[in-house]
Amino acid sequence: MKPTRTGVRTVSEPDCGESHASDGTTGEATGESGGTPVEAEDVDGALAALDGAGLAGYNYAYLDEHTKREVRRAVLKAIAIPGHQVPFASRPMPLARGWGTGGIQTTLSLLGPEDTLKVIDQGSDESVNAANIRRLAERTADVETTTDTTAADVIQTRHRIPEEVLDRDQVLVLQVPVTDPLRKVDPSDAANRRRHAHANYGKMWVHLYENVVEYGEIQVASRYPVTVAGRYLMDPSPIPRWDVPKLNDADNLFLFAAGREARIYAVPPHTDVEPLAFDDRPFQVERFDAPCEACGATDTYRTAVETDEGDRLVVCNDTSFCLKRREDAGLAKDHHLDRDGVDWGPGTPDADDTDQEPATNGGDRT
Amino acid sequence: MRALGLDPVTDTRRAFAGLRTAMARPGTVQRLPAPADHAVLAALVDHKVCLSTPDQRLADAFSREGRLVAAAPPEADVVHAVGTPDWDPTDLNRGRLVEPSEGATAVYRVGTLADGTGDGTRDANSTDGAKTTVRVRGPGVPGERTATVGLPADHLRDLSRVGADYPRGIDAVFAMEDRVLALPRSVTMEVT
Repeated sequence: MKPTRTGVRTVSEPDCGESHASDGTTGEATGESGGTPVEAEDVDGALAALDGAGLAGYNYAYLDEHTKREVRRAVLKAIAIPGHQVPFASRPMPLARGWGTGGIQTTLSLLGPEDTLKVIDQGSDESVNAANIRRLAERTADVETTTDTTAADVIQTRHRIPEEVLDRDQVLVLQVPVTDPLRKVDPSDAANRRRHAHANYGKMWVHLYENVVEYGEIQVASRYPVTVAGRYLMDPSPIPRWDVPKLNDADNLFLFAAGREARIYAVPPHTDVEPLAFDDRPFQVERFDAPCEACGATDTYRTAVETDEGDRLVVCNDTSFCLKRREDAGLAKDHHLDRDGVDWGPGTPDADDTDQEPATNGGDRT
Repeated sequence: MRALGLDPVTDTRRAFAGLRTAMARPGTVQRLPAPADHAVLAALVDHKVCLSTPDQRLADAFSREGRLVAAAPPEADVVHAVGTPDWDPTDLNRGRLVEPSEGATAVYRVGTLADGTGDGTRDANSTDGAKTTVRVRGPGVPGERTATVGLPADHLRDLSRVGADYPRGIDAVFAMEDRVLALPRSVTMEVT
């Protein structure tokens, strides 16, 4: 039995026949699921025996063309209505929903053979999920992969925006677990869609006000609600507050994709993205007491990691940039760009001092 | 879409890449496989959306692949026009307030297309003399851009009127030869 494209094509739809024509292999891909029996002693041997042959029957970039069209239509509408959650027919993918299926569908719909892909998971290139997504794209879409932010055309990410400034030709695809910022104040999707329709965000303001009453400042660790282009309230996915200012007036396109919730939304370049805050309780990014213990950086988002020896280190969350900083401690976040005045989140070395103010003010007050 | 001389995988991906950049940077000319309007439609249209087109060859090509659901312009999701259309932008589907993404995408084949940098030229074969310059502001535009498209000023004024209903609205794509320029509903345009 030949390997099949199990679960990817939905059989009820008329077959356009085009994806078959292009890869020249799908015509014979028929039969029930179950894969090819492999005789091998162990798992490694089985995988080695399948190498290459397992891709027969798959279209370029894994998804069939109908799925790509569906995703692409949603992406275009999402760009045309910044911050609005556009529904799309999310397909089952070869990993559980909630593990980046929306991001993978979007990434694979974007990629072409001349593109270079980077995948990060919480700032790390080496997590199992990131490595597997990268390998899927490498094998099916024939793309180069990289860990260098500045070398990538498409970056798929879970819960971080890289520290290095993204340029105009790059696209950042963020995996989104929860699409609607209003869900934390009302679990009803129907009611929340009506609120978005009328830009009625009073309930979120009350939620933030209650936060201030309780803690003296807005305590939202991640998924900080933002207003996009003065219209839609948007969940920027669970990125830390540190990354939220990077969405504002960026040079690159941000795509947010949720496979489980079947929604895609976008922030185009040069779009106003404003975190919700009060005049006397401004938006604040995270505060860190000590520099990165690996590279000495004071202008990056840091998290605690445990080493193999059991020590607890506070280091940069963006591992790729941290490695570069260990080589060259003075490396600017916009070192690869030939223009000045690039503003990218808090503490960009050549940013105005005023960018630091919210954090300082907030620190004094509390 | 081999009937249109387009590779169904690589050309539609390239068309989408150009269209994506055009939408994200309204008022800039982007390159994609020629003819650009056919490439855009091949990248967008299948049996899940309704198409209105005056181009019979195009309709036949979609129909042969089971991808054509024809509709009149007011009902269509994707509306194709060659030159100045006989419908009005205010006739098209703008979507609902709850789901504005249902609003139509209008794909115009025009005889003149240029952005502020002068990328793009007049199609020598075009007999349609209309030419209108619009100033564009909004998401995707740092400051302001200007764009020149081969449509009458009245049509573009109607298009900007449709955008007053934001987030309901229609998204316009202008195509000439291997170039596209997009004016999504999020931008405000001023006809000069």
